[in-house]
Amino acid sequence: MTGNMNMIETNDLNLWYGDKQTLFDVNMPIKKNCITSIIGPSGCGKSTLIRVFNRMNDLIGGTRMSGTVVYDGKNICGPDTDVLALRKRVGMIFQKANPFPMTIRDNITYGPKLHGMKDQRELDEVVESSLRKAALFDEVKDRLNTSALSLSGGQQQRLCIARALSIGPEVILMDEPTSALDPIATAKIEELALELKKNYTVVAVTHNMQQARRISDYTGFMYMGRLEEFGRTEDVFENPKSELTERYVSGRFG
Amino acid sequence: MIPEDTVSVPENISKSAGGTIVAHFDPKGLLGRFRNGDGAKLFLMATVVFTVAILFFIIIFISYNSLDAIGEIGIWEFLTGGTWSPGSGAYGASSLIVGTFLVTGGSILFALPVGLGIAIYINDIASPRIRNILKPACELFAGIPSVVYGFMGLAVLVPFLMDIFPDHLNYGTSWLAGSLLLGLMALPIIISVSQDSLEAVPRSYREASMALGATKWETTRKVVMHSAVSGIAAAAILGIGRALGETMAVMMVTGNSALVPEPLWNIFDMVRTLTASIALEMPEVAHGSLHFSALFLLALILMTMVFIVNLIARRIVRRTRIRTGATVVTGRTRSMTSPFEKHKGAVRRLAVNAAVFASAFMMSSLFIGTAGGIAVGVLAAAALFVSKKISRMIGPKYVQKAVYSTLGIVVIAVLAILVVFLGVIIVNGLPALSLDFILSPPSKSGLSGGIWPAIVGTLELMTGTALISFPLGVCSGIYLSQYAKDTKTIRLARQAIDSLNGTPSIIFGLFGMSLLVIAFGWGYSLIGGCITLSLMVLPTIIKTTEEAVSAVPRELTEASAAMGASRWHTISKILLPASMGGVITGFILSMGRAIGETAPVMFTAAVAFKTTSSFSLLDPIMALPYHLYYLASEVPGSTTNQYGTALVLMIIVMVLFTAASAIRYKYKSRTGW
Ligand SMILES: Nc1ncnc2c1ncn2[C@@H]1O[C@H](COP(=O)(O)OP(=O)(O)O)[C@@H](O)[C@H]1O
Ligand SMILES: [Mg+2]
Repeated sequence: MTGNMNMIETNDLNLWYGDKQTLFDVNMPIKKNCITSIIGPSGCGKSTLIRVFNRMNDLIGGTRMSGTVVYDGKNICGPDTDVLALRKRVGMIFQKANPFPMTIRDNITYGPKLHGMKDQRELDEVVESSLRKAALFDEVKDRLNTSALSLSGGQQQRLCIARALSIGPEVILMDEPTSALDPIATAKIEELALELKKNYTVVAVTHNMQQARRISDYTGFMYMGRLEEFGRTEDVFENPKSELTERYVSGRFG
Repeated sequence: MIPEDTVSVPENISKSAGGTIVAHFDPKGLLGRFRNGDGAKLFLMATVVFTVAILFFIIIFISYNSLDAIGEIGIWEFLTGGTWSPGSGAYGASSLIVGTFLVTGGSILFALPVGLGIAIYINDIASPRIRNILKPACELFAGIPSVVYGFMGLAVLVPFLMDIFPDHLNYGTSWLAGSLLLGLMALPIIISVSQDSLEAVPRSYREASMALGATKWETTRKVVMHSAVSGIAAAAILGIGRALGETMAVMMVTGNSALVPEPLWNIFDMVRTLTASIALEMPEVAHGSLHFSALFLLALILMTMVFIVNLIARRIVRRTRIRTGATVVTGRTRSMTSPFEKHKGAVRRLAVNAAVFASAFMMSSLFIGTAGGIAVGVLAAAALFVSKKISRMIGPKYVQKAVYSTLGIVVIAVLAILVVFLGVIIVNGLPALSLDFILSPPSKSGLSGGIWPAIVGTLELMTGTALISFPLGVCSGIYLSQYAKDTKTIRLARQAIDSLNGTPSIIFGLFGMSLLVIAFGWGYSLIGGCITLSLMVLPTIIKTTEEAVSAVPRELTEASAAMGASRWHTISKILLPASMGGVITGFILSMGRAIGETAPVMFTAAVAFKTTSSFSLLDPIMALPYHLYYLASEVPGSTTNQYGTALVLMIIVMVLFTAASAIRYKYKSRTGW
């Protein structure tokens, strides 16, 4: 795992919402085929950071960045980045499951159709393989034409994962994907994340330190917009370099 | 949680166990109940009973009067008969029904895409500044009286259409003119309802779609519009309801010929609608004749159509709300197992192509014959195919640019129409405005002289209508919001109020004329006009009052009740002052609508000329809208005075609308809900 190449690399990344600086000089590597967790108290900029990786912050007017984020050899912060193509390769799972109010099948075929897939058989294959990868196929295979909103919360979140996988991304960003789920559904998602890292690179924001510890290979601890500490998960939790990190991971604040 | 109990416990117990226990919970309230609480409650209830009884009476009255026609002609013959010629005893209403459908359908075909496009523009692209221009512009559009629309149709639209299609339009008045004008009139409601529903789609749907690499436009088209489909459908249906019941504007520009267009899609032919037939024939018909009854049957058909349309709209809206809670809109989510499921895409493509072919054929065949029409239809379908290929080639970003630019152009075009509309009235009306014009009576059939009696008459009408409808409407609204339980009777009452809320104004005119003018023998009178207009605006006033009162946060009433205040004390001292802004705003808007109305007034109160300024409730009056209609349709050469009248009418209506928005704004900023 140590020899893995960097999938994404941020260099001196700063970000402002209007006049308010939210990220300060973040330097963080994301290793290929690993799970990288980002932890930290709420409001410290975790979501902001991972939304840089697929440029979702663009949806909010008035954001500004400096520094570079290198993905696949290119800086993705620049104005000439093809944002649509980037998002195709860097998928995202949100805090609250947000399936479209359509059938399960239409949720999965939405992305492929968007990017030009038309053949019905091909689409059927994508539906099955995406649902299988998200460990949902067996639960829903008989009701693909029912509303996605009829699924349970955990199933909805896995459907969202399947939807993200349907367009063949390389990186999957997860922003507190289990914070709205019960422990059993959470366990399923964690298991799934571990499975996914074989073929994908996963970056997960989490509020839950145990979760970070259980699933991730690397952990970054953020505090007030700065990456306070970054390293292999066991190092961050057991031998933190920073006193702040130590206090946070031992539950003494935040 | 706890304050809620303090309110409901005494309530429940007082219901089940009578006074003594109430006294135990609420000793001060016992006296209050006898002094003013119960009295007030009874009084409010009486207003509801009275109001609802009248509204039911209208429905029964119309039905009863149409019985003769049903008996003598037969409902089936009436509905399907092809010839409408009451003079020779032919009562076949099918051409009128078809005419109504054609004009309404044409208007929606025009207004739905344009209105939805503008809604998308407001939602997706417009900066806050532009929104702040577009939304009031929309309300301004909605506030223009329909007789002014009709007048502008005659003065601007019809000549314009004749310039464009000199070979096809003999007089300019036509189905096309009617549909365009009605479409414009339906735009505001379509824009506002569909924009609300687009806005209600949760942000998270947008985010999910964008995160999959969709552009903003792709997201709007494939996710947001899909999720808002119920709201958009409701917008279309409300627009249809508005168009169905329209009288003055339609009557002025459609030519009113009771023939089905030949061929059926000949938009240059004249048509006659149900509303226009009633309005045109009612003044000439003998009371109690078969013709008289036949007009009531037309009214009944119209009411039924509007009722069904409004019912569907309400169902759609309610279904969406129930399934989703107030804020989430879910779109179509039921399980779909139709046999077409597999070929859904193919079926849809086929349908779209067929529609494109058919519409291209219909329109072009009017100009270049059948063969040419087929050729154009094929070309249009081919063009659709090619444009799809091209959009695939140039990529989603440029498609978005193209679409959003087009929407921008649509917005500018519609705004330009509004500017032209207002500009023409102002530019031509200003020279007519003089102290003399305002303060003197008309002379030489309105060719010269002024409009003083009409201004006075309109203000008298407004005052009288306000005096009748405000107490009745507001009291009923308070009762329904505060005292009414959800019983069968109350539900029926609400149903009556709801169904009269969308009823075309011509129906009220018909009712007022046959009851007040003829049966009571009042003739055309100020009081008859006031009563008729009051009935027309009552449902709206009740609704807006109920909404405004119900919008007051619960905590306020609970706080008052928790201190032992009686129900009525809470209502009069807390609820009413807090909701006055909303109540008054709704009321003023209703007055704006009432004074712009022509159809009800011209059947009950308004005469073309009146020079003496005597004042009696039983005297006929002049009124601005009817005066404008009269000049525009009966007095050629009175152009200057027409514009002058239109401008004065617009100014009065705009003053009311401005006052309403100012009050709404003031109260909103003060109370914050
Ligand atoms: N759209 C926005 N506009 C302005 N400030 C924002 C916006 N979104 C987030 N912020 C601010 O940026 C900071 C970081 O937010 P976020 O990245 O959501 O934190 P986290 O995900 O760690 O809880 C917070 O202080 C928040 O208030
Ligand atoms: Mg967050």
